[in-house]
Amino acid sequence: MTRLLRGALAQGVRLFGTALAVALAVTLVSGTFILTDTIDSAFHQASADTGGSSDVVIRSTALFAAQANSLPEREPVPESLVAKIAAIPGVKAAWAAVQGYAELVDKQGQAIAAKGLPTVGSAVTPDVTLTAGRAPGPGEVAIDVETARRAGLVLGDKIKVLFSGSTQEFTIGGLLDAAGDVVASTKAIFDQVTAQRVLGVEGQVDAIPVEAEAGVSPDALRSRINAVLPDQYEAVTTAQVAQESAESWTQAVAFLPTALLLFAAVALLVGAFIICNTFSILVAQRARELALLRSLGASRAQLTASVLCEAVAVGLVGSVAGVLAGFGAARGLLALFGRMGFELPAASAVFLPRTAVVGVVAGVAVTVLAALAPARRATLISPVGALRGADGGRATSTSRRLALGSAAGLAGLATLLTGVLSGGDKPLVAVGLGAVGILVGLAALTPLVATPAAHFLGAPLVRLFGEPAFLGRENAMRSPRRTASTAAALMIGIGLVGVVAILAASVKASASRTVDDSLRADFVLTPAGLGGAVSGVPPVVIDRVRESPAVATVSEIRGGQWGLDGRNQTLLAVDPATVTAMHEIDDGSAAAVRRLDDKGVLVRDTVAERYGWRIGDPVPMTFAKTGTRKMLLQGTFSTTAVRTDYVITLGAYRANFAQQFSLEVDVALAPGVTAVQGRAEIERALADYPVVKVMDHSQVVAAQEEKVNRLLVPVTALLALSVIIALLGIANTLALSIHERTREVGLLRALGMARRQLRSMIRSEAAIIGGLGAMLGTVVALFFGWALVASMRHLGVTELVFPVAQLAGLAALATVAGMLAGILPARKAASLAVLQAISTDR
Amino acid sequence: MTLILRAPTTHEDRTFPHLVTSVPAARAVNAVKLYGNAETSVRALDGVNVDFAPGCFTAIMGPSGSGKSTLLHCLAGLDDLTSGSISIGDTILGTLRERQLTRLRRDRIGFIFQAFNLLPTLTAAENITLPLALAGRRPDPDWFDTVVDVVGLRDRLHHRPAELSGGQQQRVAAARALVSRPEIILADEPTGNLDSKAGGELLAFMRRAVDGFGQTIVMVTHDPVAASYADRIVFLADGQVVDEMFEPTAERAIDHMKQLGG
Repeated sequence: MTRLLRGALAQGVRLFGTALAVALAVTLVSGTFILTDTIDSAFHQASADTGGSSDVVIRSTALFAAQANSLPEREPVPESLVAKIAAIPGVKAAWAAVQGYAELVDKQGQAIAAKGLPTVGSAVTPDVTLTAGRAPGPGEVAIDVETARRAGLVLGDKIKVLFSGSTQEFTIGGLLDAAGDVVASTKAIFDQVTAQRVLGVEGQVDAIPVEAEAGVSPDALRSRINAVLPDQYEAVTTAQVAQESAESWTQAVAFLPTALLLFAAVALLVGAFIICNTFSILVAQRARELALLRSLGASRAQLTASVLCEAVAVGLVGSVAGVLAGFGAARGLLALFGRMGFELPAASAVFLPRTAVVGVVAGVAVTVLAALAPARRATLISPVGALRGADGGRATSTSRRLALGSAAGLAGLATLLTGVLSGGDKPLVAVGLGAVGILVGLAALTPLVATPAAHFLGAPLVRLFGEPAFLGRENAMRSPRRTASTAAALMIGIGLVGVVAILAASVKASASRTVDDSLRADFVLTPAGLGGAVSGVPPVVIDRVRESPAVATVSEIRGGQWGLDGRNQTLLAVDPATVTAMHEIDDGSAAAVRRLDDKGVLVRDTVAERYGWRIGDPVPMTFAKTGTRKMLLQGTFSTTAVRTDYVITLGAYRANFAQQFSLEVDVALAPGVTAVQGRAEIERALADYPVVKVMDHSQVVAAQEEKVNRLLVPVTALLALSVIIALLGIANTLALSIHERTREVGLLRALGMARRQLRSMIRSEAAIIGGLGAMLGTVVALFFGWALVASMRHLGVTELVFPVAQLAGLAALATVAGMLAGILPARKAASLAVLQAISTDR
Repeated sequence: MTLILRAPTTHEDRTFPHLVTSVPAARAVNAVKLYGNAETSVRALDGVNVDFAPGCFTAIMGPSGSGKSTLLHCLAGLDDLTSGSISIGDTILGTLRERQLTRLRRDRIGFIFQAFNLLPTLTAAENITLPLALAGRRPDPDWFDTVVDVVGLRDRLHHRPAELSGGQQQRVAAARALVSRPEIILADEPTGNLDSKAGGELLAFMRRAVDGFGQTIVMVTHDPVAASYADRIVFLADGQVVDEMFEPTAERAIDHMKQLGG
C-alpha cells in the first residue's frame, strides 16, 4: 500500500490546484462559523454588560419578545414598586431602570449614531462608572467616551438630544466608561427625573434591577421577590435577561449562517467538479503505471484505495488550509456585511473546535466523493491494454452518463417548471431543487456540445491569432469531456452571478413600477441612514410636519413584531382614513382598509386561508406590552405592494406597542403648493431633526435601488469565490493537459513554434474553455433568472428584466478571465526545454 | 580497440569536386559537447569536424553513445555546443538567440523524428503544412501537390494520425519536412519504428527528394540498409568522426560498423 501511495505522492505538485480549490471552498465554510460564533459571543458580551452589577431584574411579564430590540417593549412598572422591593430582606439595593430612544446630534446638526443601530438613553444607575466628570444632574447628560471622541465632544459642551416626543439641549457633564456596542451604538445617561420626563415614562420605570446582599444567590432572591410580587410583574435573574437579549439578537441574524453556508455549498460543488476532473486526468495519465501495478498483482480494491487515499490527503491539506484561512474570511465577511448595512460586532475571532471539524469533514468528504468515479475508473483499466498505451475503459460510461444527465436535467426541469407554473405555496423551494437537478444534468450533457461550441467560440480567435489559436482550439476539442467539465464549473459560477444580476434588475424595476403605479403621496419621510428597521421616524417629527401650512395630509405607517403560536410575525399599522389616498391599492381591498377599526386586522388572503380564518373570526395576536389580544379579521388583501401579511390600525398599534416610531410617513401637499415649495416647507419643519429624510417619487425609487445594490455587492462577491475556484480549475486542467502533452509541445517547438505562439495556443484553449463556461452560464442565468423571478411574484417581484449589457459584460469578463487563467500554464509550457520535452516518455 | 581506418578529411579529391567551392549546407567545426558536471562529465561530441554538402543525402552511423543523435540535435539548434561551432548555410548557430533559432528551425530546417512526429489533433494535410502555418505562410499549391503525390498520401490527407499506419505517419512527417523547401532535412532514425517494407518506401521517397528536387538530407541511423540509400555515410565513435564512406552499400556499411563495434 505504501508503495502505491508513493506513486501518488509523486503527483503532489500537480494536486496543488485541487487542494487550493478545496481550501477556498472550506475557507468560506470555516469563515462562516468563525463569523457567526464571533457575533454570538459579541451579542452575549454586550447583553451581559447591560446588566451592570444587578443580580435580579423586576419587570412586567410579557408573553412575547421581539427580535433585535434595545428599546423597552413591555408595560412599564410603577416607580413606587422600587421602594417596596428595596425593603425585601436580602436586597442590598434596588433602583429604577429607565430606557428609551435618545438620538445625539453633533455640532453640525447631524445624528451621531452610525449604521442605524439603536441610540439609547437611560436614567443614571448606581453601578454606572464614569471616566470623566460626574453623574448627570438636571440639564446634564453623560455620554459614552467613544461617541464623544467620534463627534469631537468634550466635558462642558452643549449637545442636542432628540427624543421620541421632543428635542432638548444638555450640557455634557460626564463621560461613560462604556463604548457603544452592537445593542446600543450611542449611550446617553440622564438623572432619573429627567430621564423619566424625556423618555415619556413619568412616575414609571421600565424595570427594577436589584443587587443581592452578600451570601444571597440570585436564584434565591428571585424566588423570594416573586413570592411577594403581583402577578403582572416578574423577577428574573440578570443572567436570564442577558441570555434572552442575546438570543433575540442572534435570532435576528440567524439567516446569516444559512445564507453563507449556501454560498459555501456552491463553492464546494464547483470545487467538486475540479477535483473530479483532476483525478480523472491523473488516473488517465497514470493508466500505464496502474496497469503495470495490476499486472504485478495489485487488486482492484488496492488501486481504488490508493486513488482514494490520495483524495483524502488532498482533501485534508486543502481543508486544514481552508479552516485556517477562515479567520481572514470571517474578517472579510464582516467588512462585506458592513457595506450591506448590517453592522456586525467586530470582536476578537471565536474559534470553536466544531469549526475545524465541520470544515475538514466537509472538505475531505467532497474531495473523496468527487474522486470516487475516477477511482473506480482506475480499476477498469485492463492490464494489457493500458500497457500498450490504449485509453482504457472510457467509452462504456458515456451512454450511462448521458442517460443519467438527461434524467437529472429533465427531472430538475419538471420540478422547476412545476414550481413556476403552479404558483404553489413554496415555489422557491421547487425552483431551487429543480435548478440543482438542471445544473447536474447540464454538466453531464455538456460534453455533447463542447466540440461544436469550442469550434464556434474559437472561430474569432483563429481569425485573430492564426495557427496557434487553431491548434489551441483543436486541443480544446480533442477531449470534450475534460473541456466540458472544466467549463461546467465556470458555468455554475457565472450562471449564479447572472441570476443575481437578473434578479436585482427585476427587483429594482418592480419597485419602481410599484412606486409609479401606486404611490400617490407627494413626499415620503423615512428614517435617514440605514436605521429604519430599528427605530424609525419619531412622533415629534410627524407633529412638526403636520403643523406645516403646506401640508394637507400626513399618513403614518408603523411596523412591529408580534407572536402567533410562539412564532415571530411582523405587521404594519396604518391610518385607515388616509392611507388609501397615499397608496393606491389595486387588489380590491381598499374598501376593507377604509373600514378597518382598532379592534380589527387585515390578513393576506393566502395566510387567512392557511389558518382557516374567515371574516369576523378572532385572530390571536400576542404583543409584548399587552399580551394576547383577539383581533377580528375584518378583511383580506392580496397586493404585493404591502410587504407583510398583517395590517392593523395606528390606534391598535398605540394600544399594544410601547414604542411609537414610524417606518414611513406619507405626505400630501395642500392644494396649490408646488413640489419645490412643499419640499422647502417640510425641510424647514424638519430642520432640527436630522434623523429624517424627505423623498419624492424618484428618490423613493433610488432608495429602493440603493437597497438592492447594497445586497448585490456582497452576494456577487460571495459567488465570485465560486468563479475563482472555476478559473483555478481551468488553470489546473491546462497544466495537467500540458504535462500530458509534453512531447507534443516539444515537437511543436522543434518544428519552429515560437514561445510566443505556444503561449498563444494555450491561452486560446483557456479562452475557449472560459468562453464555453460563460456561454453556458449565460444560458443558465437567463433561464434560472426567468424561473426565479416568475416564482417570486408573490413577493412583489412583478417585472422581469434582463440586464443585457451587464450579462454580456459578465460573459466577456469570464472569457477573458479564462484566458488569463491560461497564462501560468502557458508560461510553464513555454519554459519547457525542447529536447527534454521531445524525448520524454509521455 | 577502435580501428581508425582513415583520418577524417575533406573530400575535394573524391566524388563531388563541384561541392568544394560552394558553401556546405551544414558544417560542424571542432564541435565539443560535454554533459554533466566537471567530475562526471561525458564527452558526447569530442571535436567533430564535418561538412554536409548541399543536395547530398548523408547518413550518420555509429554505435550507441557515439554521439550521432547529439550531433543531429546540435545541427538542429535543439542543443548547444560546449565549444566549437555549427553552421547551417552561412549562419553560425552559436550566435543566434532563442527566437532566431526557432525561426531557423521553422524556415530552414525540416525534421523527421523516429516517432511522435505528428500532432494527433491535426489531419495529415494540416500536419504537413504546420511549419508553414506557424510562419503565417500558405503552401505553394503546386509544390504541395507534388510532395503529396510523391509520398503517395493523396487519399489520406484528411485522416488524423490515429487513422494512419506507422509508415503513412512517417511519410506525412517526410512530406511536412519537404513542403517548406528547407535548406536541410534532419532525420533521426526515421525508419526505426517501421517494418522493412514501410521503411523502404520512406527511404525511397527521401532518395527521390534528393535526386529529383536537390534536397539536402542528413539522417541518423543504425540500420546499414537504411544508410545504404545515402550518398555518403559518416561514421561516429566516441564523439568523433572516425570514417566516411561514399556510395555505400549495406554490406560495406555492416562491415564498417563491425569494425567500429569491435
